[in-house]
Amino acid sequence: MSKIEKIKVLYLDDEINNLHAFKASFRLDYNVLIANSAAEATEQVDKNPDVRVIVCDQRMPDMTGVEFFEQIRGKHSMPIRMLLTGYTDIESVISAINKGNIFRYIKKPWTDADIKSAIDEGNKFYMANSMLAIKNEELQKAYAELDKFAYSVTHDMRGPLLSILGAVDVARNIDEISEIREMLDLMEKSVKKLDNFIQNVHDYYNMKRGELQVVDIDFEELSEDQEDMNKIICKLNNIKFTTTVKQEGAFRGDIITLKVILNNLLSNAFKYQRKNNPDKFVDMVIEATRGVATITVTDNGIGIPDNHHGKIFNMFFRATTDEIGSGFGLYNVKDALLKLNGTITVDSVVDKGSKFVVTIPSK
Amino acid sequence: MISQKLHFIVIDDSKLDCFIAEKVIRNTGMSESTHSFIDAREALAYIADNTNTEVQTILIVDIHMPMMNGFEFVEAFEKLPADMQKCYIIYILSSSINENDLNRVKNYPAVRHFLSKPLTSNTLTALLERL
Repeated sequence: MSKIEKIKVLYLDDEINNLHAFKASFRLDYNVLIANSAAEATEQVDKNPDVRVIVCDQRMPDMTGVEFFEQIRGKHSMPIRMLLTGYTDIESVISAINKGNIFRYIKKPWTDADIKSAIDEGNKFYMANSMLAIKNEELQKAYAELDKFAYSVTHDMRGPLLSILGAVDVARNIDEISEIREMLDLMEKSVKKLDNFIQNVHDYYNMKRGELQVVDIDFEELSEDQEDMNKIICKLNNIKFTTTVKQEGAFRGDIITLKVILNNLLSNAFKYQRKNNPDKFVDMVIEATRGVATITVTDNGIGIPDNHHGKIFNMFFRATTDEIGSGFGLYNVKDALLKLNGTITVDSVVDKGSKFVVTIPSK
Repeated sequence: MISQKLHFIVIDDSKLDCFIAEKVIRNTGMSESTHSFIDAREALAYIADNTNTEVQTILIVDIHMPMMNGFEFVEAFEKLPADMQKCYIIYILSSSINENDLNRVKNYPAVRHFLSKPLTSNTLTALLERL
């Protein structure tokens, strides 16, 4: 047990002498709180809900220890309850244990060793319980996400497939070759949409389940990768892509997660351009100095309406019907930043463009 | 079966699905005109602006759409004046197999029927013949 964070133990007894003796014996091992009455003890637990073990005398004038535990359990279920008692009260103790009100009883007169081993056992049980509570909460979250996921899969995966199926059916009755061509273009888009969705799902699970693999990051190299990857898109859509990298000193991070962030921010910047804008541009600036990387991605595309700024990082949220999108990209970015303890801000004006600024600390 | 030809409005964020619906509608041979919208809000504005309450119009509406989804569209539609509503028949068309979605569709008085994607000429013709 670390000396700095001693666990809190509350001792309730109507005899002041016992309280002092208890405190004197255990103050070095535990953070000992004492109470002289049930009311005082309740107050103590209210003030210190992180009390791990409550030790209580059975025979007290206002209520018995068993009664006290039954009462405190309703409000504070986490602290481990231990009863101090002589053999004469054994019947009530057995029934209390069987009802689950008491974790353990300690026979009077007690020895320091009895108490210590009981408290340590109790603490272990407490830890296991809290761990279980945390795991349960995580599980609840995972279930909720899975529900959301299963729901969207029916739409985002079935949707494009059914579109293609419908198109195939319609195409059977079309003789006009130009109409067929038009449909093929649309079918291609559907296939790309599905593929895009699957890739995003892949990213999502990689990040969720994968452990971070921290390596030295060369931002220059990452930036060049992006230039290569986006070369064709730039050419096809006549977009000017500029990059600036300024890295001083080492930066450590997880390369896959960083790539997810860059890929998504840049692919959005390239995708959501204004079709008729003659000077389309995407600009990326990476500055990595003093252990913090700041990545700024700016475009002069369609922009995001003000009222959507808060929602764009939600799973499956889409702010536009233009272009192919899964509503997954920025959610993955946010998730990636969560893993890297990073932050993201957005500054965007409709028909002017968007600017995303990401900051990530070195690991 | 009604003798007069029908007007159609298709609302779906997928251009391909709009395209398919247009072809399927044309193939029924019962259409006078077809308008497609990839943004439900534009469709709503179009409907609200349309003062001609004589023509019978079939609305085919997708559920999952960005900006305004099918449910939001139907809710907004149900707030339109009654004499405006009466010349529209709403069919929901979706790839959803989610029970909550299906149950929710049933709770809107304005929705006549739920159709599963993909839309085919046979299903649509059968429905229109029952009008």
